Amino acid sequence: MSGTHPTREEDFDLYALGALDGDEKVAFESHLASCAGCKEKLAEANGRIAMLAFAAPATLPSPGVKERLMRQVAATTPEINASSARIVPESSEGIFARWWGLLLPLAGAFALAALLLWLHNGQLERQIAALRGTIQEQASKIAQAHEEAELMSARDTVVVSLAVQKNQPQGTARVLYNSRRGMLVYNGRLAPVASDKSYQLWLVPMNGAPISAGVFNPVSGEMNSMMVKVPAGIAAKAFAVTLEPAGGMPGPTGPMILVGPVS
Amino acid sequence: MTGETGTESRASDAALVARIIQRDESALAALYDRYSGMLSSVLNRILRDTQAAEEILQDIFYQLWRTAAQFDPSRGSLPGWLLVIARNRAISRLRRHNPASGESLLENTIVLPATLESTIAQQQLIGKVKGALDNLPKEQRAAIELAYFEGLTHSEIAQRTGDPLGTVKTRLRSAVETLKRNFKI
Repeated sequence: MSGTHPTREEDFDLYALGALDGDEKVAFESHLASCAGCKEKLAEANGRIAMLAFAAPATLPSPGVKERLMRQVAATTPEINASSARIVPESSEGIFARWWGLLLPLAGAFALAALLLWLHNGQLERQIAALRGTIQEQASKIAQAHEEAELMSARDTVVVSLAVQKNQPQGTARVLYNSRRGMLVYNGRLAPVASDKSYQLWLVPMNGAPISAGVFNPVSGEMNSMMVKVPAGIAAKAFAVTLEPAGGMPGPTGPMILVGPVS
Repeated sequence: MTGETGTESRASDAALVARIIQRDESALAALYDRYSGMLSSVLNRILRDTQAAEEILQDIFYQLWRTAAQFDPSRGSLPGWLLVIARNRAISRLRRHNPASGESLLENTIVLPATLESTIAQQQLIGKVKGALDNLPKEQRAAIELAYFEGLTHSEIAQRTGDPLGTVKTRLRSAVETLKRNFKI
């Protein structure tokens, strides 16, 4: 293979995977050393293979890892050389005056140390409280990510593209819906609305009135994403987004911005 | 990902790396929040040892802190680098090797077919990758997982499973071909 391109395209992915060995590996590497085109292909293969990491079950590191990392980092940042305190001896000649001269700075140092420890303790408690909040938030996001991942990979999940309606502002959205699980994921980009308005997503069933599936107010330029649980087993005819008074309405009342039929 | 402030969560990886070079610890904390979950998952899957996984996780971010200036965004995405380094180190630990070569921030280029800077992007990728693997025939999936998560070569997989080497090679070739088609984003 040396001097000629690898005959099989899969060799790039197999090399990135670390599966090639023996002569195959040697030949691939010797060719790669002198071929810019193959290096580019390998870069793409490296990226594809790196994505396999996402097949791993989601876990979170303990908060202690970040704490240790940040302490390690802080220890390596340039430190300001604290000027050493210089104690000037008192000129008093009496023994009591000399003791006071020693004890007063010591007492002061103890008091200062106690104050610093107290302040530091308060700071640590605030950090711990913040970390607890972060952990809870991460755990909830991970759980949501799992549910979304399962929804996306389920064979009976339908993907519905929502198209913007005539004379309405530009926008785009997609809904993944699984009626068996009673769950949908909305991802969309719409123009921001006035503070007294909200967008509202509707599940339009085959029979009966539209069911509210979430209210949202997008920030300029940002993608909105939400996972919504709805009653299981509803056969959907379409999904739609309407513009409603802030906070949403029990049934659609405003103009229809996006609609997507379930095929 | 989580734990980032509003401003940090909007900052790009490249901007955060630039701030790390300026010794901004909050930028490192933001990248840690964004990618530590992703790396922790793969490290734990490979090592099945939480303590070892956390040691490597800390070490990877400390390496980023020390050598951020070597990172060249034109040669690949940061999460791509982090994932490759994490896998290399975990497999080296698993097989009691020295850290594999190619983990420097300067070596092999890695082009991820997707951006991973947002939680949504990471979630979508989890679904896509799991879906793609679920659709592979059982033997192909097993071969891919032995290669990726245990760092086994063709021959080592054949030895482990007792299947003929040619069969293992065919399975892996078919699997990477299918994944390549499915990973196009």
